[in-house]
Amino acid sequence: MTTDRAAGVVLALFGAWVLWESRALPLGTLRHPGPGYMPVALAVVLVVCALAIVSLGAGAPYVGAAGWGEWRHAVAIFGACAFAALALERLGYRLTVALVLVLLVGVLERRGPVGTLLFAVAIAAGTYFLFDTLLRVPLPRGPLGL
Amino acid sequence: MRARPMAFALLLLATTAPTAAAQEAYPARPITLVAPFPPGGVADLTARPVAAALEKVLKNPVGVVNKTGAAGAVGMQFVATSRPDGYTLLLALSSIAIIPEADKLFGRPPAFTVDQFVPLALISADPTILVVPADKPWRTARDFIEDARKRPGQISYSSSGIYGTLHMAMELLSHAADIKLRHLPTPGAGPAITAILGGHVEALASGPAAVIAHIQSGKLRPLASWGVERHPALPDVPTFKELGLPGAEFYIWAGVFAPKGTPAPVVARLESALRQAVAEPEFRGAMDKLKTPIAFRQGEEFRRFFDADARRLAEGVRRVGRVESK
Amino acid sequence: MLETLQNLSLGFSVALSPTVLLYAFVGCVIGTLVGVLPGVGPLAGISLLLPVTFGLDATRAIVMLAGIYYGAMYGGSTTSILMRIPGEAASVMTCIDGYAMARKGRAGAALAIAAVGSYVAGTASIVGLMALAPPLAAFALRFGPPEYLALLTLGLLVLAYMSSGSMLKSLAMAALGLLLGMVGIDQMSGYFRFAYGLVELGDGLGVVPVAVGLFGLAEILATAGQPTPPGVIQPRFRELLPSRREWRESTLPIARGTVLGFLIGVIPGSAHIISSFVSYALEKRLSRHPEEFGQGAVAGVAGPESANNSATSGAFVPMLALGVPSGPIPAVMLAAMMVHGVAPGPLLIQQQPALFWGFIASMYVGNVVLLILNLPLVGLFVNLLRVPYSYLYPAILVFAILGVYAVNGSVVDVWIMLAMGVLGWVLRKLDFETAPIVLGVVLAPMIELSLRQSLAMSDGRYAIFIERPIAATLLAVGAVLVLLSLRTFVRRGRDWRARVVLAGKGEGP
Repeated sequence: MTTDRAAGVVLALFGAWVLWESRALPLGTLRHPGPGYMPVALAVVLVVCALAIVSLGAGAPYVGAAGWGEWRHAVAIFGACAFAALALERLGYRLTVALVLVLLVGVLERRGPVGTLLFAVAIAAGTYFLFDTLLRVPLPRGPLGL
Repeated sequence: MRARPMAFALLLLATTAPTAAAQEAYPARPITLVAPFPPGGVADLTARPVAAALEKVLKNPVGVVNKTGAAGAVGMQFVATSRPDGYTLLLALSSIAIIPEADKLFGRPPAFTVDQFVPLALISADPTILVVPADKPWRTARDFIEDARKRPGQISYSSSGIYGTLHMAMELLSHAADIKLRHLPTPGAGPAITAILGGHVEALASGPAAVIAHIQSGKLRPLASWGVERHPALPDVPTFKELGLPGAEFYIWAGVFAPKGTPAPVVARLESALRQAVAEPEFRGAMDKLKTPIAFRQGEEFRRFFDADARRLAEGVRRVGRVESK
Repeated sequence: MLETLQNLSLGFSVALSPTVLLYAFVGCVIGTLVGVLPGVGPLAGISLLLPVTFGLDATRAIVMLAGIYYGAMYGGSTTSILMRIPGEAASVMTCIDGYAMARKGRAGAALAIAAVGSYVAGTASIVGLMALAPPLAAFALRFGPPEYLALLTLGLLVLAYMSSGSMLKSLAMAALGLLLGMVGIDQMSGYFRFAYGLVELGDGLGVVPVAVGLFGLAEILATAGQPTPPGVIQPRFRELLPSRREWRESTLPIARGTVLGFLIGVIPGSAHIISSFVSYALEKRLSRHPEEFGQGAVAGVAGPESANNSATSGAFVPMLALGVPSGPIPAVMLAAMMVHGVAPGPLLIQQQPALFWGFIASMYVGNVVLLILNLPLVGLFVNLLRVPYSYLYPAILVFAILGVYAVNGSVVDVWIMLAMGVLGWVLRKLDFETAPIVLGVVLAPMIELSLRQSLAMSDGRYAIFIERPIAATLLAVGAVLVLLSLRTFVRRGRDWRARVVLAGKGEGP
């Protein structure tokens, strides 16, 4: 399974799914296109391109050889960001940011505790001050007022 | 090694249960007035003087937050589902009645419903004005309507979006005068004005503040107004009521709402505060600069106005129906 | 001519008065901060800070807002070059070659060229604004939906020149981007498309979360886990400035970008975002070494950055000359004027000469201020790269989340950014380009709307595109371009794209 083939298959599936989801949207006519017109047309183009990529994709490197070495790290980073998204409006900006930084710098990157904590608090408080207080960009406050 | 961050995270999430609101004298915390439109728009520019005046009267901070999206639906849904403790209020435009109706039309669960709100006060109610490019032959509204009857579906007009306020205004006129016009939706009031100034459409129902400058410079000609009385800045422009079309009544109004379930004493406090706020000279000055006359109504009066308006608009939306299935 | 000079001197006397100068400076600083923050671009910046100006008088408020606008355009290139995160949607193209230059140790040069290019473009376009405002504005108003569609179709052709690899793959990515742009409320019929009950998706995925995710987050996901962190570059002071060769290579792109950006910016609507994309494609087409694009071509930074900045002045033309809200940013400026009791309209220039000329003069001043601010800051910013990557990338992530969240105050945007980040990471591994996706997300809603609006205007007749002179001309230009490139494609012998592919594989002339 080469990279091109894998990508092509996924893209073709995505295009097919869009076509399925568009079935509720009226197509209209060529003279008065409806809301379904362009999505369907684009999905068709995508599927055609994807199939072409699949058929021409034999010469591409294999999927495994594409260098996925850092995937564990990437998943962890993604997890931290997901936590941030979930917690941002529940825990408040400063607390969330500080926790995310502690997670990333302290736990994932294994930097020393003192440096991590200072860094986390500095960034969380500093950016909050700069943007919420000075520039009046509203940032969420959590239950602890943070 | 990766289990630890996840467990930590889960533990933290468990502690985010909302804290119970303590019983306190209202208002004890900053109040948020949500403006569901982007900064610079009508709702936003009305919300800020209201917030400032309210802050003065209540002696408590009142801040404006813009929650934009989906022609106001995002902000309105946000307030409808927020805690009814009097600390989150909404400054809504007339589209508050249109959006749930449009949702019903498309058979999707409504983003919010009108009875999720308690109306507190009407602040301003600008009638829309029918304008045409100055180089068009119609000199009066009657000319326009007669021409439209002769050529159904030929005269085009722009609007701020389908089922939007400017579209509904024209729709009410079309129904009352029994004419058929061609609708060109644009993504907002600004592009709608650009479209008529560029000569790409032949008519527009617009809020007066946005077009007065162009009327004065001679680019646009006002034909009639959708109000019951003539607009103070345009005393020579007749109303559709005068012209024998009382069904063509439409205002782009702005009002303050609270989520349903807000305790009665809080509602009463806010109502009286708003009454005092609109009398503040600074507030009047700000609204003057925006060329928006204050049209203050409360309680039963506002409810009647709101219900009548909502009913008219709901009928209008149903009449338009689903454009694509025609 | 004499009158213009008199007006200018009036304007400068207003603009250089201490308080106005202070507000311009404050605006520029805030704008730079806002621009450096990933995601929050000039529109979000002005919108968020509009309330801050309510207490000021009209001239100071406008001057400060304009300063924010400019500053954001200058600042947007900084994060693009240093960290491959677009400061705003229009900086996406700078990410590509700017970051490549930074990796080669030429970060200072890239930043300096971006700053100087922005300055030249900003100043020259203000001259254009002054001299050509009324006639240009009248011309711009004639751009209705059919003309818009013709212009955007030309913009689509740009895609052909953006790709350095397989055309087929870029086409697939463009189709994907265009599809992603279909999410949201359909303006013509009111249907909610692909929103799955999330009201926040009503206005689409948003180009900001998509761009920051596809470029910034994907970059971090790919680099953070590498066994050897990105080499910390320690440039000496002399290396901070561009070499003579680099200056020479940037002159013509800056000139072309200025003119191109100004013209595109004048057109009402949101077309000015594509000015940097079109400039990039133009530079690549005209370059003698197109294979350098993507690896750190100077023209790939100079052109788009200049186009960006002159598009901002272009956007003011209809606003100042006719009082027309020709786009979201001019609309906010017009609202600011209204709030301060200044009636925008065609008579603005006559009725408020102090405001108009003061505004123009303060734009000159603002450009100078920003150049002075940004050049020494080059050293500061490049030194930021010395921070160990373990500390740097979490901070960048926080800024990205903050920036994306701040635009709409919506966590949904953050989730979109995360999803796009994963998508961008996977696409990198599979050797697909992500820039066409961003262009697609930007163009799709505009193209579809213009097409359907045009058909609504003409009641279904496609002939409207040929009947209207401007639209017909633009389409003809597009057809000529397509024919030209087909000819080189068909002709025997290596064409430049084949050279690019071969150069990528390490062979070729």
